[in-house]
Amino acid sequence: MNNETILQVQGLMTEFRTERGIVNAVNDVSFSLERGKTLGIVGESGSGKSVTNLSILKLIQYPPGRITAGQVIFKGENMFEWSEEEIRTVRGKHISMIFQDPLTSLNPVIKVWYQIAEALRLHHGMSKKEAKAKSIELLKLIGIPDAEQRADNYPHQFSGGMRQRVMIAMALSCDPEILIADEPTTALDVTIQAQILELIKNLSREKSTSVIMITHDLGVVADMCDSVCVMYAGRIVERAAIDDLFYAPQHPYTRGLLDSIPRIDRAGGSRLHTISGAPPNLIDIPPGCPFQPRCEKAMNICSKQSPPEFIINGDASRTAACWLHAKEYNNG
Amino acid sequence: MTVPRLFKNGIAVTGLVIIVLYVLIIIVSFFWLPFDPSEMNSQRLLEAPSFTSGHLFGTDEFGRDILSRIMKGTTVSLVISIAATALGASFGILMGIWAGYLGGRWDNGIMRIADVLFSFPSLLLAIFVMAILGENTYNVIIAIGIVYIPQFARISRGSIIALKSNEFVRAARSNGAGRTYILFRHLLPNSMAPIIVQISLSLSVAILLESALSFLGLGVQPPEPSWGNMLSSARKVMMLAPWTAIYPGLAIVTLVLGFNLLGDGLRDILDPRLRNVR
Repeated sequence: MNNETILQVQGLMTEFRTERGIVNAVNDVSFSLERGKTLGIVGESGSGKSVTNLSILKLIQYPPGRITAGQVIFKGENMFEWSEEEIRTVRGKHISMIFQDPLTSLNPVIKVWYQIAEALRLHHGMSKKEAKAKSIELLKLIGIPDAEQRADNYPHQFSGGMRQRVMIAMALSCDPEILIADEPTTALDVTIQAQILELIKNLSREKSTSVIMITHDLGVVADMCDSVCVMYAGRIVERAAIDDLFYAPQHPYTRGLLDSIPRIDRAGGSRLHTISGAPPNLIDIPPGCPFQPRCEKAMNICSKQSPPEFIINGDASRTAACWLHAKEYNNG
Repeated sequence: MTVPRLFKNGIAVTGLVIIVLYVLIIIVSFFWLPFDPSEMNSQRLLEAPSFTSGHLFGTDEFGRDILSRIMKGTTVSLVISIAATALGASFGILMGIWAGYLGGRWDNGIMRIADVLFSFPSLLLAIFVMAILGENTYNVIIAIGIVYIPQFARISRGSIIALKSNEFVRAARSNGAGRTYILFRHLLPNSMAPIIVQISLSLSVAILLESALSFLGLGVQPPEPSWGNMLSSARKVMMLAPWTAIYPGLAIVTLVLGFNLLGDGLRDILDPRLRNVR
């Protein structure tokens, strides 16, 4: 496999101006995505996962949101220097998104086939007839029975799982190079979740689409991803290849997350581990590490200075933003 | 699904039947009228309705057949009401949806213009516009249209604002859709329900406004018959010959009732909150 980097996000900062102050939703986030690979972005609600990915396509509504710094380099070009029209030619064609809630992400008054064909019509100027034929093909591909009849249905005539399939068909209609899936299974029940994930996995493998999988479910990450970024309070606190993350977590927050998963192989009776406290208010982030108030291993420096990302074992794709990994504190 | 539900709703069907009846009258009036509506007959002034004379609704102070004049006036009233509503709705909706969608300064600017228009009572504003433009049939359409612009602007702005934060708008943007596309393909079709109801109710108010303007002598000018100017000329002879006022009045009342019933019925059908009340 060639390790061609298709998307690179550098130093991304996104803020929201609210009445109570400026919310730094994304704070200096950098990552890169390789062709054909799946990158997981994990974090709890409000950690900035979705905003990061909406920022990539500049889908943040200007008031109140604003991207204040950073670069998004797609195939060697910085998309943030492009005009709105130029970015529009990328959206849905080269980079497309699947949203969390299939119930509200489809327009209730537009027929299903037309919504699937929207990107095709916008980007390739397909005629209605061609577009409809293509959507029926896509409906078959995602496993909707009676695709010919179902194409003329409205979204409310579809079940939740089928609607999420339709969203996938919509996102994949133009054979994008990158698929951003923003918690694609959160609104679905467990059996459907597995089917949807399988579908995304198979389709992306077939077309060697790169996937950014945003989720708070570590099970999904283990199942789908090649590498993972863990986000906390708008920053990436740890990045790792999938196995390294689960077998050797380096950041206390990641360790806490992993310990919070109920395990079938562990002796019963013991209480489930939780991370005490709540995520910090992003309006005025205290100096130092944002995880420090909740951290079991907090040291003096943690409340004073924000840790940079420390490279672990000399592998640049393996980092943890924690003072425990600084040379002067790292003595075992 | 909406069409069959329309026919299950008794109120809407009643309204629709009345309107269809008037449309039939218009069609008939193009080919056949009992008498020439502008032919005066000094032998038959203010004749009471009777079968034998052929004047089913009687004659007016110039001996003209009232039924023929009402039939001819139906075209005038309905055409004015439809054209004025179309004019007001298209400008109002365009202003409203852009204001609602763009928000901020645009919204403020557009809606303040609408507020200025809104601050006059409808009839007063219509009279004001007629006074500026001059009295003729086309200007009645413009005057009533202007009265309607702020009403449509408000309704469409409101529903666009409620809709634009929907997830499907973001999904469309992530597909590469532009502003105009999203507004007209995604948002406008979703906001049609309140707009359709408003159109139906506006048609009825337009009939009243047109009659009122013609009654005051600002609208359709005699000898061209309109229900409003028929009532106006009947004023002087109403006590002697009540039919001169009763029949044009009835025509106005029933057509207005028809549009109102249709509007009420449509609102019941299209408003999901009222859907299961009955």
